Amino acid sequence: MHIHKRTFGDWVLDIFVYGFMIVLGLITLLPVIYVFSKSVSSDWALVSGRVNLLPVGFQIDTLVNVVTSHAFSRAFVISVIVTSVGTLLSILVTAITAYPLSKRHLPGISFIMVMFIFTMLFNGGLIPNYLLIRELHLINSLWSLILPAMISVFNMLVIKSYYEGLPEALEESARIDGARSYTILFRIILPLSMPVLATIALFYAVGFWNDYFSPMLYINDPALKTLQLHLRDVVMENDTANAINKSADDLMNMSPESIRAATVVASTVPILLVYPFLQKYFIKGVLIGSVKG
Amino acid sequence: MSELITPLNDKAERTRVSRKRESRRRLVWRNFDTYLLLVPGLLLLLLFKYVPMYGVVIAFQDYNIFDGISASEWVGLEQFRKLMHSSEFMQVFANTLLISIYKIVLLFPIPILIALLLNEIRFTAFKRTVQTIIYMPHFLSWVIISGLFMTILSPSDGFVNSVIQWFGGEPIKFFMDNSVFRSVVVFTAGWKEIGWNAIIFIAALASIEQEQYEAASIDGASRLRQMWHISLPGLLPTIILMLILRLGIVLDAGTEQILTMYNPTVYESGDVIGTYVYRTGLGKMDYSFSTAVGLFNSVVGFILVVSGNWFSKRVLKRGIW
Repeated sequence: MHIHKRTFGDWVLDIFVYGFMIVLGLITLLPVIYVFSKSVSSDWALVSGRVNLLPVGFQIDTLVNVVTSHAFSRAFVISVIVTSVGTLLSILVTAITAYPLSKRHLPGISFIMVMFIFTMLFNGGLIPNYLLIRELHLINSLWSLILPAMISVFNMLVIKSYYEGLPEALEESARIDGARSYTILFRIILPLSMPVLATIALFYAVGFWNDYFSPMLYINDPALKTLQLHLRDVVMENDTANAINKSADDLMNMSPESIRAATVVASTVPILLVYPFLQKYFIKGVLIGSVKG
Repeated sequence: MSELITPLNDKAERTRVSRKRESRRRLVWRNFDTYLLLVPGLLLLLLFKYVPMYGVVIAFQDYNIFDGISASEWVGLEQFRKLMHSSEFMQVFANTLLISIYKIVLLFPIPILIALLLNEIRFTAFKRTVQTIIYMPHFLSWVIISGLFMTILSPSDGFVNSVIQWFGGEPIKFFMDNSVFRSVVVFTAGWKEIGWNAIIFIAALASIEQEQYEAASIDGASRLRQMWHISLPGLLPTIILMLILRLGIVLDAGTEQILTMYNPTVYESGDVIGTYVYRTGLGKMDYSFSTAVGLFNSVVGFILVVSGNWFSKRVLKRGIW
C-alpha cells in the first residue's frame, strides 16, 4: 500500500483545519451554553454579574417555574396541536398532489405544474394574504396557521421526483388488474415512498413548530398563542411577568434576565431532543431537493 | 385550439387531427381518477396563492376595509409615485441592499471553505461531531436565536460585553446602536446557516472521483494543491448555481430575522423592505401603500430569479427548472 509521507506542509494544513473547526464549533455552542448557564444559575450570581460561561450556584427553580407557568404550558400545547395537525394534513395533501403531477404524459399536467412553480417565484405579498385570512374569518383561528402552509411547492417537487424514480412496472400490473389511481397511490406508491415522506414530514413539522410570523400576524387572542409567539413576547417585549408560575415570592426572587434565559432554554430543548432525527432526515431531503427539485 | 379554426382542406389531415384530439380526450377520460387527486391541492393553491395575487390590485387603489376591493377608489400609479418620492422608502431600500450584499459577500464563501476543510479531515468521529454541532442552529427559530444573542450581547451583563470591559473597553449596545446593528444581523444570520449551507458543497465534493486525488498524490501534489486544483474546480458549477440562486433573493435581507431583533432606535440602519411592509401595512393600516411596496419587491425578485435561471441554463446548462 502506498503510504503518503507527511510533510511539513501537511502538518500546517492539519493544524489549520482542526483549529478552524474547533473555533467554529465553539462559536456555535457558546451562545447556547451561555444562556443555559444563565437559566440554571442562582439569582444572586446573575445580579452580581458572576456568571461567565458556566453555571454559578446551580438551581433549576427558574426553569421549573417557567415551564409550569400557565402561559408557557398553554403555548406549548397549542404548538404541539398546530404542529401535529398541520404536519399530518400537509404531508397527506402534498403526497396526494404530487402523484398526478408525476404523470407528465397526461394532457394538462404540465400546465398545472407551471401553475404550482409560478407560486415559488411570485407571491401576492403580506397584505393581500392578511386580507384574505381576514375575509375567511380565520383571524384568531389555528387554521390560519395551518391551511396557507399546507402546500409547499418545494416539498411537493421533492416527493414528485421520488415518485418518478419508482419502477413503472409495479403500477402497470396493478392497472391491468383494474385498480384505480387512489388504490395504486395508497397501496403501492405511498408505502414505497416512506423514506421521502418521513423527511418531508419533518420539514413541515420544523416549519410549523418554528413559525412565529403567521401567529404574529393572525393570532392576537392570548389563549391561542403558540410557543414561538409567547417566546417573542418574553424576548422582545420583555413581558416576563406572565412567563412564570406566578406567586409574589417568585416574582421577587427572579430577575427578568433569568426568566428570559429560562424561557429560551425551555423552548430550545424540544428541538434539541429530536435533533438527531432531524439531522439524519433533513440532509437526505436537502440532497434530493438539490439534485432534482 | 388552433386546429378548430384553421380550415382543413385535406381530408386525411382532418382525420389525423381529429383522431389525435380524440385520443387526448380518451386519455383524460381514462385517467379521470388521477386528475381527481389534484383537487385538494389545487384548491389550496388557488385560494392561498392565486387569490392573494389577485389581491395585489389594491396597490392601484386607495383601499379601505369598508369598501373592499370592489368599491375602493382606483388611483392608478399614485401609490408607486408616493413610494418613489418617499425618502423613508429610499432609506429602507438602501438598508435592504446593504444588508443583503454584506450577507452575500461575507457569508456566501464560508460554507465553501467549511466544505473544503472538512474534506481534509480523516478522523471521522471528529468530523461527525463538528457537523452535528454546526448544523444545529439551522433548526432553531429566529425568536430563539434572538433570545440567545440578546442574552449574550446584553450591554449590562452579557458575556461579550464582560469580555470587552475586561480588556478595558466600553460596553456596546449591540441592538441599540446604528453603527453595529447591521453587523449583528449579518453575524447571527451566519451563525444560523453557514454550517447548514455547507451540506450541498460537502455532497458535491463527495462526488469527485477519488482517483483524481490518488493520481495527483502520486505526482507529488501537496494536499493544498489538490484542494486548489481538484476540489475547487469540482465545486465550481455548484458554487455558481448557488450564487445565482442567492442573488435572486437579494431583496430579502432577512425579514423574519430582523423582525425579531430590531426596535425603533435602529430603524435607520436595520429597517428593510419586508419589515417596512409589515409596519406600514399592519401597524399604520396603510394597506394600499404597503401592498405597492410588496408588489415592487415581488416583481423585482421575480425578474432576478427568472433572469438568473436563464443565465444559469445558458452558461452552466443547468437551471432550477
